[in-house]
Amino acid sequence: MRPILAGLDTEYGFSVEGRGAGDQVDDARALVRSFPGECFPFWDDRFESPRSDLRGFRLDRLSFDPEDAKFDADRAPEPVHEVRADRVLCNGARFYNDHGHPEYATPETWSLEELVMHDRAGDHAVLSSAAALAASVGREVRVYKNNTDFHGASYGTHESYLVPRSVPVENLISGLMPLFVARQVLTGAGKVGSEQGARCDFQISQRADFFAEAVNAETLYRRPVFNTRDEPHADLKKWVRLHVICGESNLISTATRIKLALTKAAIHLIEAGDQPVWPLADPVSATKQLSRQPDGEGRIELEGRSWTTARHVIESYVEPFLASTLDVTDPYVQELRKALTGALSLLEARFADPERFARSVDWAAKRSLLEQYVESEGVGWRHGSLQSLDLEYHRLDGGVGVFQALRDASLVDPDPPEEETAKRRTRVFEDSRARARSIAVSKFQESLVSASWGALTFKTANGEKTVALDPERAYSATLADCGTVEELIMELEAPR
Amino acid sequence: MTIQADRTQRQFTPDPERKLGDDEGPSKPDVKKPTAPNELLKRMKRVDPDQAKKYRQRSGQ
Repeated sequence: MRPILAGLDTEYGFSVEGRGAGDQVDDARALVRSFPGECFPFWDDRFESPRSDLRGFRLDRLSFDPEDAKFDADRAPEPVHEVRADRVLCNGARFYNDHGHPEYATPETWSLEELVMHDRAGDHAVLSSAAALAASVGREVRVYKNNTDFHGASYGTHESYLVPRSVPVENLISGLMPLFVARQVLTGAGKVGSEQGARCDFQISQRADFFAEAVNAETLYRRPVFNTRDEPHADLKKWVRLHVICGESNLISTATRIKLALTKAAIHLIEAGDQPVWPLADPVSATKQLSRQPDGEGRIELEGRSWTTARHVIESYVEPFLASTLDVTDPYVQELRKALTGALSLLEARFADPERFARSVDWAAKRSLLEQYVESEGVGWRHGSLQSLDLEYHRLDGGVGVFQALRDASLVDPDPPEEETAKRRTRVFEDSRARARSIAVSKFQESLVSASWGALTFKTANGEKTVALDPERAYSATLADCGTVEELIMELEAPR
Repeated sequence: MTIQADRTQRQFTPDPERKLGDDEGPSKPDVKKPTAPNELLKRMKRVDPDQAKKYRQRSGQ
C-alpha cells in the first residue's frame, strides 16, 4: 500500500488585550515574528496557485467575505512577504500570518502518530510566540484553537493529502463527500448556538454553519464541503494535494487521529476503485442537518427520498478497508487499522457508553461539560456564559484551564507523551521530504535562500540553485552529516 | 448530489445499505453526570461570562 503523505494546518484564534479584529493582521504578524526559536524567514511562494481548480480551470479571482473586507478598506497594500511574515521552523513546519491568524502548517508526514505529535508541536510554537509577544508589548495575549468567533467569522483547520493525479477527480469528490458529511460525529469540535440558519442550542460541528456549496475552490467565502483548490506543492503532472477544509480543530488527539485515518482509508478505497457509493441528496444541507442532531443517530438524506445515518456511512468506509488490509506487518497499515478499529468502537459506544465516547470526541466532551454547568447553575443553553465556556474549552494559554482539568481528571484520552511531542518541535523523525527542509533550516541556513513544500533554493559558489523535494523519496537523517551545501545539494539530487 | 466536474461521472451502483422509514434512531440515553461541585465546575464558574461576546476574529480560510 502506498502511504499517503499528509499535513495539518491550523489558523489559531487569538486576542491581544485592548486590540480588536481591525488590528488582527498586524497582531498576527507580530505574533509570528515573536517566535522565540531558531527559524528561517523566507518562504518561496512561486509555486502557489490558489485559484487553480482540480476540475481543470482557473478562477479569475477568489471571493472574500464583504464584512471582513471592511477591516482592510483603508489599509495600504504591502508586499505579500511582509504581510505573511513567514517562518520556516527547524522541524520543517511553516508558521505565518494567514488572513490575520497565526497559522501553523505541520511538516508533512506519512505516519498518523507523527502528524498528531507535530500538530501538538504547533500548539507550542503558537503559545511560545504569544508569550514572547505578550512580554514585548506588555499586554495579555490569548490563544484559542477553535474555528469560530460566534459572530459569523470562521477560520480553518485544514488537512492536506497527496494523491496521484491519475485518480479521477470525480471519484475523489463522490467518494469523499459522504465521509466529509458523516465524519463530524467523531471529529466535530462542538459549538454552542448557531451563526446561520435556524437557531439551535448546541451542534456537533463548529464549521457546518459556514458551508454554502458542495464543491468549489473557495476558502474565505461561500466555502465548500469539498474544496477543489489545485495546488499540489509537488510535481503538478503527477500529484494532487487534496485540500480538505471541512474539518475542525480538535483538542483531543484521538479525534485528530481518527479524522486523518478515516480520510486516508477513504482515499485508499478510492484509489482501488472500492469506495462506497452514497448518493447524497444535498451535501451542504446534510452537513448542517447532521450537525444539529447531537442526539440520536441523525439522518443523512439520500437521493430518492431515502436516508441513512452517519454511522452507516462511516462503517461503509472502515469495514472494507479493514477487510482489505489483513497483512498487518506494515507499520503504516497498523496505525491506520488501530485508529479505524477505535473509530468503530466509538460508534458503538456513542449510545452504549456515552462517557467512553466523550473521552475521545470533542463535541461530546464539551457538551457533557456544559451540561454540568447548565444543571448546576440553572441557566439555559442560550445564556451568554455558555458560549464563553465553549470558547474557554479551546483556550491554550492557560486561562481557567477547562480542557486541562478534563485532562487532569482523565476525562479525555491522553495526548502522545509530552517528551515525544517536544522532540518534534525542532526535528523530523521520518524520512519524508520534510526532513530535507528541516536539515536545510537547522544546518545550512546561511546558504539557504528560500524554502517551500516542494523545493529548496541555496546560494552556491556558482549562483543560486533550486532543488526539488520529491514527496515519494526517502530523505535519510545522514543528510545532516553533509559538510558543505554543495555536498547537501549533491545528496538531494542523487538519483534513487 | 450535483458534481460540477467536467469529466465523465461514475454511475452510482450498487446502492448502499440504507434505512427507510421514520425511525429517528435511539434517543439520548440518561447519563449520570459526575457529582458537583467538582474541580471542573469550580473552573467553569471562573470563566468571564462575557468573553465570547467580546471575542471577534477576522474571517480566515
